[in-house]
Amino acid sequence: MTTDLRISNISKIYPGCIANDNVSLQFKSGKIYALLGENGAGKSTLVKILSGVVSPDNGEVFLNEKNLKLSSPLDAKKNKIGMVFQHFNLFETLSVFENLSIDATEDNKSLRVRINEILKKYNFSIDLDVPVLNLSAGHKQKVEIIRCLLRSPKVLIMDEPTSVLTEQETEELFISLKKFCDEGILIIYITHKLKEVLSLCDEVAVMRKGKVVSVSQTQNEKIETLANKMVGQKLAKIKKKINISKNKDEIFKVKHLNFYSDDPFETNLVNLNFSVKKGECLGIAGISGNGQNELFQILSGEIITPDTSIIFRNKEIAKLNPKQRREYLMAFSPEDRISQAAVPELKIYENVALNNFKSSNFFEKGLVNEKKIKEHSKKILSDFSVNTDNVELKSQFLSGGNLQKLILGRELITAPELLICYNPTWGLDVGAINYIHETLIKINDQEKSTILISTDTEELLKLSDRIVVIYKGKLSKIMPSEEVTPEKLGVLMGGGSID
Amino acid sequence: MSLDISFIGILIGSIMASSVPLILAASGELITERSGVLNLGVEGMMIIGAISGFALMVITDNLFIAIIGSMLSGVIISLIFGFLTQSLLTNHVATGLALTIFGIGLSAMLGKNFVGIPGKEFPILFSSLKESIPFFGPILFGHSIVLYFAFTLPFLTNYFLKKTKLGLVVRAVGDSPVSASNQGINVILVRYCCILYGGAMCGLAGAYLSLIYTPQWIENMTAGRGWIALALVVFATWSPIKVLIGALIFGGITILQLHMQAIGFRIPVQFLSALPYLMTIIVLVVISRDSRKIKLNTPTSLGRIFYKEK
Repeated sequence: MTTDLRISNISKIYPGCIANDNVSLQFKSGKIYALLGENGAGKSTLVKILSGVVSPDNGEVFLNEKNLKLSSPLDAKKNKIGMVFQHFNLFETLSVFENLSIDATEDNKSLRVRINEILKKYNFSIDLDVPVLNLSAGHKQKVEIIRCLLRSPKVLIMDEPTSVLTEQETEELFISLKKFCDEGILIIYITHKLKEVLSLCDEVAVMRKGKVVSVSQTQNEKIETLANKMVGQKLAKIKKKINISKNKDEIFKVKHLNFYSDDPFETNLVNLNFSVKKGECLGIAGISGNGQNELFQILSGEIITPDTSIIFRNKEIAKLNPKQRREYLMAFSPEDRISQAAVPELKIYENVALNNFKSSNFFEKGLVNEKKIKEHSKKILSDFSVNTDNVELKSQFLSGGNLQKLILGRELITAPELLICYNPTWGLDVGAINYIHETLIKINDQEKSTILISTDTEELLKLSDRIVVIYKGKLSKIMPSEEVTPEKLGVLMGGGSID
Repeated sequence: MSLDISFIGILIGSIMASSVPLILAASGELITERSGVLNLGVEGMMIIGAISGFALMVITDNLFIAIIGSMLSGVIISLIFGFLTQSLLTNHVATGLALTIFGIGLSAMLGKNFVGIPGKEFPILFSSLKESIPFFGPILFGHSIVLYFAFTLPFLTNYFLKKTKLGLVVRAVGDSPVSASNQGINVILVRYCCILYGGAMCGLAGAYLSLIYTPQWIENMTAGRGWIALALVVFATWSPIKVLIGALIFGGITILQLHMQAIGFRIPVQFLSALPYLMTIIVLVVISRDSRKIKLNTPTSLGRIFYKEK
């Protein structure tokens, strides 16, 4: 039996923001639909409406021409609409089985049988009796999917499902989704990743500022066309002019860096040697989990390793902590914006004050100089086009892109000589990515240096002057980026050799 | 001094009796906290239970009505807490503290006319067996029905949380109210129920004091037991069985140190009085060291305000 889902004239207005403006869309089973849009385009609100979490101010939802009243998540469940949220809706301290049984109507024994059938059918392997907090992100997502499948859904909505997955987990997910689609489940895939739309979906609807701006077949689209629709303007093509000149000074040098850890989840680093020249961007490529975390922490001073030598502006800095390194004009932008770079519960200006320097005079005689910090923060907000001018706003209310701009702004406003960033555009939408790339290029133009640790090969090729690959804690040889192709990088990142 | 075996039996019996209010109040609070609600009003709810139980006994001369009434009054006063924190989204900590202060004040006012009135004897079960069996008699028999209930309650609570569907729902709400709500669970309703249940148990704990343990009304007669019960829940890392152990240790050492004081041990009295608190905390910390279990038992959303998106 086919499923036909129709959304008609949905509107939802929040104070100060029109989240959905007269949205009408139509979906039929047998296809995978993409709902594409930047952060804040209204995708999440729309799926929240479809899953009954919020109710629309206006408009109707029809499933097989039946008008649905979706006033609570229970209504969505009853009507066989399943939903996998971007932030997992799991109970971390409960076991996998308890998570699945909480809304089941059958007894535990037959439920277990059914779960095992699903595990077998889709080749999932998950221990049902461990607490969810012990699972990887990919497994947690599978638990969510199983929860939906248990209710034999007609519609399955995936909200930005790959933002927490590794590349391999993403591939596995796509295989499963295609299987579900073949079995007649209507799949709506929400994302801001253009590549995924093209590789997975059949039809794509683009949303911008709460409105649907285009619906088309993905086979007729290219990355550029979709990006332009999504952002609403032609994206400037960013291309960096490579500036390697042999005679420039080496500003930063790492010699014989070794790191051994007892923690089985950490990667050992073996004899790393590299240097960065003035005005240069050194890209460090690699699949995540090959030692990037450890390397970033050592470079930023979070981990101090004895017997290591790190030279910055002709000074030995290996024993300095992050704050002391900042005083020497290094700056850092860690991978995890929310838990490492900023404190989400603090206000914007408070987060700015965390990065205090002797020279910034944020604190006087043990007291907070609020006025000074606020002025400084306002300057960051406007210089780095963060989408607010309210320094009192809690940082958790900033979108990922705006938060990253704030963090970069905080780091750059002191004009550091070297910026070390780790996946600076992770999880951001195209507009924000573009802005951040432009900013990073500007730094190099001003003769300041950057180290870009990234898992995104495209980004590395775009921004780096020289590229090196990290694999299982070891570095490949350093290559000028014009000699590097995505294929070469792929081989090196997978542990192969190109000579 | 020779401690004969029947004396030890009587001693254990009295230790059990003294730990009953702690077990009741802590078991109730445990359920409340497992749903993610931190109610610091335990002391206030207990004292309201104590006065209303005693007053109803004096007025109606019926112990059954008194006991039920004390539980109902606990429910009513916890309903205030529930309304404020769940419907008006006030801060749990501040509201709970206010509830305790309110309860102590209200009970003193209501209790004015009941000071000095003698209590009524509460029926005890199996009193003949208590006398006839040495050692085990005074331990197992001759107690009020409330004591038997209190000693089965931690096991019932454990069973409820671990084995029943409703218990699972309570734990889920305490773990992540947002997820629970998105799964179609009525978080506010579940939390209300847990708060009211906690109130009923605290009311009963208070009534045990004023009707059974020391059958009379004295102003402020709960004497900080509510706070001990709260601490027990936390130090027992939200495990009902450990709450029982903790309550027994606390009750036990309280009674023992009284005996030691009476005998005249050459230890400063202040130290002896502090002993129950110290020992209970030490023992519970030692038996709850497994950090993995703590993580699994701790209600993640404890004390956080939940509101539903609309």
